[in-house]
Parts: sequence; structure tokens; C-alpha cells
Amino acid sequence: MEFARLERHPAVAMAGVDKFYGKYQALRAVDLEIQRGEKLVVCGPSGSGKSTLIRCINALEPHDAGTISVNGIALGRDRASILDVRREAGMVFQQFNLFPHMTILENCTFAPRTSLGMARDKADALAMRYLARVHIADQAQKFPAQLSGGQQQRVAIARALCMEPRIMLFDEPTSALDPEMVGEVLRAIEELTADGMTMVCVTHEMGFARRVADRCLFMDQGEIVEAAPAGDFFDRPKSPRLRAFLAQILK
Amino acid sequence: MELLAFGDTGYGDELFFGALTTIQLAVFGYVLALALGLVFAVLALKGKGPRWWLFRVYASIFTGVPSLLIIFLFYFGGAELVRSLLAPIGINVRLDVSPFTAGVAALGLVYAAYLGDLIRSAIINVPRGQFEACEALSVPRRHMWLSVVLPQAFRIALPGLVNTWIVLLKDTALVSLAGLNDLIANAKVAAGSTKEPFVFFTAALLFFVVIATVTLPLVNRVARRLERGQRRAEV
Amino acid sequence: MRFDPVLAWGSMPALLDGALMTLLVTFTVMAVGGPLGLAVSFARMSRRRPLAWFGAAYVSVCRGAPSLILLYLIYNGLAQLDIVRDGPLWFLFQHAFFCVVIAFSLNHSGYIVEIMRGGMEAVPAGLLEAGASLGLSPRQVLWKIRIPIAIRYGLKAYQNEAMLFMKSTAAVSAVTLTDLTAAANEIFYMTYDPFTPIITAGAIYWVINNAMRIGFGLLERRLNRHLGLA
Repeated sequence: MEFARLERHPAVAMAGVDKFYGKYQALRAVDLEIQRGEKLVVCGPSGSGKSTLIRCINALEPHDAGTISVNGIALGRDRASILDVRREAGMVFQQFNLFPHMTILENCTFAPRTSLGMARDKADALAMRYLARVHIADQAQKFPAQLSGGQQQRVAIARALCMEPRIMLFDEPTSALDPEMVGEVLRAIEELTADGMTMVCVTHEMGFARRVADRCLFMDQGEIVEAAPAGDFFDRPKSPRLRAFLAQILK
Repeated sequence: MELLAFGDTGYGDELFFGALTTIQLAVFGYVLALALGLVFAVLALKGKGPRWWLFRVYASIFTGVPSLLIIFLFYFGGAELVRSLLAPIGINVRLDVSPFTAGVAALGLVYAAYLGDLIRSAIINVPRGQFEACEALSVPRRHMWLSVVLPQAFRIALPGLVNTWIVLLKDTALVSLAGLNDLIANAKVAAGSTKEPFVFFTAALLFFVVIATVTLPLVNRVARRLERGQRRAEV
Repeated sequence: MRFDPVLAWGSMPALLDGALMTLLVTFTVMAVGGPLGLAVSFARMSRRRPLAWFGAAYVSVCRGAPSLILLYLIYNGLAQLDIVRDGPLWFLFQHAFFCVVIAFSLNHSGYIVEIMRGGMEAVPAGLLEAGASLGLSPRQVLWKIRIPIAIRYGLKAYQNEAMLFMKSTAAVSAVTLTDLTAAANEIFYMTYDPFTPIITAGAIYWVINNAMRIGFGLLERRLNRHLGLA
């Protein structure tokens, strides 16, 4: 059953999605399909709607029109469907959003224990496994503020993984970091992609996009302007808007 | 000094039990204010709508008049107030409101208005990302509030909570004017019968000064324990 | 519970007389306590240890004690001391109003010291260095830069304190001064109506309280009008 659902449906399917903030339209009739196991990088100028796009996918922002479904689960306004979708999709934020009063280990076990009712020792073991995967298991007893920004973001990745999602959403995971810490976080994300997890990443790190992405998406003014495999995207951009954006960012 | 001795020779025991009453009054009043303030803060959180307006009206009334007046209102009129509030739902009670009860109710209701505002703004100052992280991780509402939001709000509100405690403690002195046999009332009696007011009022003054002076460093220490690890370690 | 409008109207003259006393006490104390607090705040921030120690003790006592006890201590307690009774100011200490002003000024000024200190410490060091680098003397930096800015920073805290203290003057009825609360009390004892006089008095306090709020708001806007802060 579960397998059949995943077989039949794309990881994410959006059709005609609109999103408004008051009068301001952040997303305009967005159509997008993301295949299982696909690595998608989304870029675009600030205010282009790229963050809104992935925040809509796990219902941090309710969408105003159109349909979104995640692994075949239609996202409605009801709490049940929102919870189901959030179980499928983990989220990593620009500002890490770690819980400052909990240790690294507690940060990771909090959601499995409270929302899945997992026993403490099981949750601890799970958390240690994922902390090890982002190479930070030795910091498990520290508090977030005792870690560098790069370390904190890796913890945030492990925390999201502890809910064992099938899709990972990254909202500008390196934008709040000092330059020397960007590399370690991108490497951690890159390592995750090796085992076939679906990934959507909003980022301006073009080298990372080239290495990792199956497909790149360029958004501007709430619309998807261009979508292409990484090679074509960077070397043979079609639309003048993307050309202008790349010229700006690669300068 | 023998004036302050315990037993028949001095007024030490009277002052001591008066001080106990004062502390009891302050603690009960503060706990009531804290509980009500928390409820108000959560109900009025949104910052618009009827619940918020009701809280604004409540706060405006109770912070706009002296606590002493509220104490008198409850002491003189509390019995009738309770009776007329309960009569419509068919409960008929006759009760006497003691100065202590009037004091707890008055201080609790007055400081609930201050604490409601304080706690509300502390909750609002918990970063949005903390709520979003809980949402994204499907953390149940109850756990989000109890384990993530309120502990952080408490830390933000702590200086204000301590300050309010000290202000409330001092306000308990007013309940002696409604006839409560607290520290001040007993000091006054002792002063009157010994004709030594200076000694007794100084003793009562020192009681308050010492508590106020000791509270702050004590709480700071507890706060530092709570904040363990939360500030970036200075390198 | 009932509210008697006729009694409320009839009590107005007595209550307004009381309110006048409340205002008189409030403004006298602000006028005495303000400069007093300012003076002690210099001691509190002084580099001389005994002065700073005195300032700290002053704040501890004046802020930590209920004004009611300060009031009893000054009105009843000092009379016991021979220095006071034989001193030249004895005739003043026999007046309730004088004692009220002293007691509440001590309390009020204790708060002002801490407000000033907070404000002074919040003035960015860069501004003081800028002043010094322009060739201002330390005294000029203090009076022309640091204090004016500290007062603006402290105004909000001072407003809160002033409004709290206006309400705390309700305790003066304990030493026979007939302020608004005492007036309401007297009417209660004459009529045994527990609601009308107290609620009417409460309404008058509420108006005074909010008039003070509006007044401080205007003052703040005037002080900050060129700063571009709303």
C-alpha cells in the first residue's frame, strides 16, 4: 500500500498555486512536479517567491489557490492533512531555529518523542545516528549557542532527519553563515543526496547547484521562469531574466 | 534590643508572626497574579479581537487606580460582590471577607494586569522561528507551548517578574490599613504601647529592604543556571 | 451590588477636594524627589567609593521599603529622637503634609537614581568619544551630551514610576491627610455604601492616571521631535 502510493505519485505536485500576502502576490499560478529522488535547486532574486514556494510545500504558509500534494497526499486546510504532509517533508531553515534551551541531543529527540511517542533510549539512538551522519555526534551534550553557525546548521539537518522524512526542504541553509562555514554545511547536504532522498534546496551557491542538482529552477516575481538540468541552466540560459541574474551573481 | 525579644518581655514574636502573614499574603497574591496573568496573556495573545480588547479594558481599570482602593473595595464590598455574582447562577452564600482574603484578591487582580502584559510581550518576543521549527517537526501544540515557548518566554520575562514580586511585596503593607495583622500593623501596635516607634518601624523597614535586596542576586544566580550554555561561550 | 449616581454626584465636592490633595502631594514630591534623585544618582555613579556606597544604600532602603513604612518612620518614629525633637526643623516634622512629602520623596528619588543610572549607562560610548574628540571638556560632555540623552532614554521608565507613585500616594490617609482615597473612605463610613464612593474615586484616579500618560506622551514627543522617532 505504502509502497504503491509512493510508486504512483511524484514526490511533490503543485498545480496552479497562488499565494498572497495581503495584496502582494508571492506565487502566481505555479505548476511544478518533483520526481522521487530528484535533487532540485531553486534560485532567484530576493522576493522572487522561492522561499514561499518551499514553505507552501510543508504548509508553513497556507496556499490560497491551486493544489499541492506531497507523495500523493493532498494538502488541505485541515490539520490532519497538514500533519501527514509534514511527516513526509523535513525542513531546514535559514536561521537554524534550534531550541536554545535544549542540548543538541534534546533538540533532535524532542520531535520523535513528543510527536511519534518514541521511547527515550530509542530516540537517543536515532538522534546519535543522524548526528554522526552530519559529523557532529561528539557535540551531543552541548547547547546550540556553544556551537558555530555551521555546526548549528548541521544539527538542524540531523534534527529534521530524525523524523525520517522522505523529502528534505532546505530554505537558504547557508545564507546566515560566515563564509568559512558554508562548505561544511553544503558537504553535509551533498552526502545526504547520495542515498536517494528527494531534496529541494533554495540557495545561491552555484557551485553546489552544478554538482548536486538534477534540475535547477529560476524564479522571478512569483513565477517559475526557467527550469533546466544544471548544465543547460548555467551554460545555456534561455530567458534574458535568468541571463541577467546569472551575470549578477557570478560577477 | 530587649524590645525585639521573643516572649513576654518583647515584641519579637508579634513581629515574627506579622512578617509570616506578610509573606503569606505576598506569595498567595503573587501566585494568583501569575496564574491569571498567564491566562490573560494567552487569551489576549493575538493583539486584536474582542478578547484583546477585554484585556485592555481590564488592565486599564486595574492599573489605573491605586491598589489600596481595590483592597478597600474588596474588603468593604467583597461579600456583596461575590453574592451578586453568584446569585444569578442560583448559589446563595453569606460570607465574610477577611482583610487577608481581600488583600490576596486585590493584589492578585491588580498585578495580574501587569503580569498579563509582561508575559504576553515575552511570548511575542520568542522568535517566530521557534514556532515554525515546532510546526515543521509536527510537534504537538501542548509540547510546543510547555517545552519550547513558555520556557523561553519565562527567561525573557524573568527580570520583570522579579521586579513585580518586589513591588507586590511592598504593596502588602497597604493591607494593614484594612485591618490585617501583618508586620506593619504589629509594628504599629508595638510602637504605640512602648512609645518606641523608631525601633519597630526600623525593624519593619529592614525586613522589606533585606528581602528586596536579597531577591535580585538570588534570582540572577538561578537565571544564570537556567541559561547555562545558552550564551555563546566567550573564546 | 449597586451604584448610586445621586450619592456619587453629591460626593463630588469632597472627592474633588481629596483629588486636589492627591495632586498636590504628587507634584510636590515630583518637584522635591526629582532633584534629590538626580543628586544622589551622581553619588551612586561616583568613582569615590564611600559616595557610591552611600548611593547604593540609599537606593536599597528608599526603593526596597514600602512608602507606608517610610511614612510611619518619619511621622511617628523621628519624633522619638531627641536630635529631631530639639532640632530647628521640629515644627516641620509635626505637619503630616511635610512628613508625607519627605517620605514619598525618599521613595521616589530612590527610583530616579536607578532610572538615571540606567539612562546614563545606555548612552553609547561612541557619542561621548565623539564629543571629547571635538574638544569638549569632560564637564561639557557630561552636561551637553550625556545627561540630555540619558534623560530621553529614561523618560519612559520615569513615566511608569511617576504613575505608580501617584497611585501609591493613596497611603497618605494613614497619617490623617485627606486625599482622594481618604475622602472616599469617609463617605463609606457615613453611608456604608461600599461601592459608590470607591468606584467614583477610582474613576477620578483613572482620569488623573491617563492625563499623566498623555502629558508624558506630549513631553516625549517634544523632546524627541527632531530625532525622527515617532
